[in-house]
Amino acid sequence: MAYILQTHHLTKTIGGRDLVRDVNLHVKEGEIYGFLGPNGAGKTTVMRLITNLWKPTSGTIELFGERLTPKSCQVLGRIGSIIEFPPFYEQLSGFENLKLHCEYMGYYRQGCIEETLKLLDLAAAGKKPVKSYSLGMKERLGIARAILCRPELVILDEPTNGLDPAGMRQIRELLRSLCARYGTTILISSHILSEIESIADTIGIINGGTMQKEISMNEIEHTSLAYVEVTAANPQRAAWVLSEKLGLSNFRLTEGSCFRIYDDSISVQELSRALALNDVEVTALGRKNETLEDYFLKITAEVNGHAEAD
Amino acid sequence: MLKLIKLEWKKNNTKRYLLKALVLAVLLCLFILALAYLGIANDPDTGVPDAAPGNGTISAPIELFTGMCYLIYTSSMLSAFIISSYRNRTMELMFSYPIRRQKILVSQMLAVWIFSFTALVLTKLLLYGAVLAGSLARQSAFPLDYSMDSPHFYIQLILKSAVTVSMSFIALFIGLRRKSAKAALITSFLLILLTQANVGDITLAGSAVFPLLLAAISLVFAVLSVCRAETRDLL
Repeated sequence: MAYILQTHHLTKTIGGRDLVRDVNLHVKEGEIYGFLGPNGAGKTTVMRLITNLWKPTSGTIELFGERLTPKSCQVLGRIGSIIEFPPFYEQLSGFENLKLHCEYMGYYRQGCIEETLKLLDLAAAGKKPVKSYSLGMKERLGIARAILCRPELVILDEPTNGLDPAGMRQIRELLRSLCARYGTTILISSHILSEIESIADTIGIINGGTMQKEISMNEIEHTSLAYVEVTAANPQRAAWVLSEKLGLSNFRLTEGSCFRIYDDSISVQELSRALALNDVEVTALGRKNETLEDYFLKITAEVNGHAEAD
Repeated sequence: MLKLIKLEWKKNNTKRYLLKALVLAVLLCLFILALAYLGIANDPDTGVPDAAPGNGTISAPIELFTGMCYLIYTSSMLSAFIISSYRNRTMELMFSYPIRRQKILVSQMLAVWIFSFTALVLTKLLLYGAVLAGSLARQSAFPLDYSMDSPHFYIQLILKSAVTVSMSFIALFIGLRRKSAKAALITSFLLILLTQANVGDITLAGSAVFPLLLAAISLVFAVLSVCRAETRDLL
């Protein structure tokens, strides 16, 4: 499948500080790409660079197969975006704001504004001035604007800020249907990992301004994320049994005396027997599946660990 | 470009500025009529207008007060249209459209310039016309030094109005550099001092070269405000 968006060694330096460094991002056509990272990791910076609001210090961005230059602007007509909180002309109504957007984008499909307002549950509020909207309504109006002209690529930076759980679910369903019905590609960042987990096809993890991992959700589900969790009274002895007696290496001590064993060659029964035979008291034992949140924490913790070691 | 200008007027609630311009025109008209026919600027002892040398005719206060008011008016409009867009992040939205940034900025500047220039020309015509109409009934305290029959009068009026409105681009440049509407307004006040004030008998208000120089400087500042927009980060 072709990549609709790629960055190559993307770096942005402001005031001598690298906000992002050497970021290589690959978004396939028609997929939902979840862009994850802790606060201040560089997600918004990358999105600002992709939408050409900021210009890269070095590295390149390729959109729809063409290299983005500092003066590129026509390509922006194929993108809908929300970067941070969406700005509006507050004295104008939601409808008027969307109408202005259509005028600037040169998009004149009959009835598209009413249809989009209805889709985001804003049909009744459409005639009211935006200054009277709640935070959640403004966020939904921002999403309405981003998808209004049926862009090929939608870039959403933390789009569910200010939404209640029902609103979040509605947006998730909307994004899925956009992807399925129109083949829209979506790049979405969020700090709510469970939200990304349920809709993303691929995730990219950024931390400290550098891209840590790009992996498809299928890959996550089928490879390293099933594990056995053991809580032992004597963690040192348990670690010795795991490595020396059972010859395991793909395990780690998470918190206190809890081990996660990612090696799928060993069953729970074998593990239980080996620990008991070597006088390790086991207080809890079971097979679990790692969530995206666990995976994310593992990746970012590894990076932080390396950084501290350096 | 015309479409972009119309959209600027639409989204910035230009009706509000139209109302302000009307109120300003009426107030200026009443003030100038009071100067001419109620003698509010006359010296109580001599009964003749207490005006600075070279400002003894009616066109001097008309040009002075309309120039002052419209320089501030235009600067405040430029602040609302452009500087505020950076502050409230709607410029970020504008720069996400498939339109060149320079074109967007030029359309915003032209939207203000055309509106202010038209308002200023009409205000001046109203003032000169009102004073002329009043002179049919009463003697003006300030002698009338213009003829509304002459094409020269209209050419002068248009050129002076264009220079006054264009000067606000200097204020815009300073305001954009400081990302501050206040800085733009303070600059416009300083420009009024520079162009209209007297120091003893010395003033630049009557100079023929000075307006041309100011127009050229304003144009340079207008170009400086937009020239690097394409390649600069929107911070």
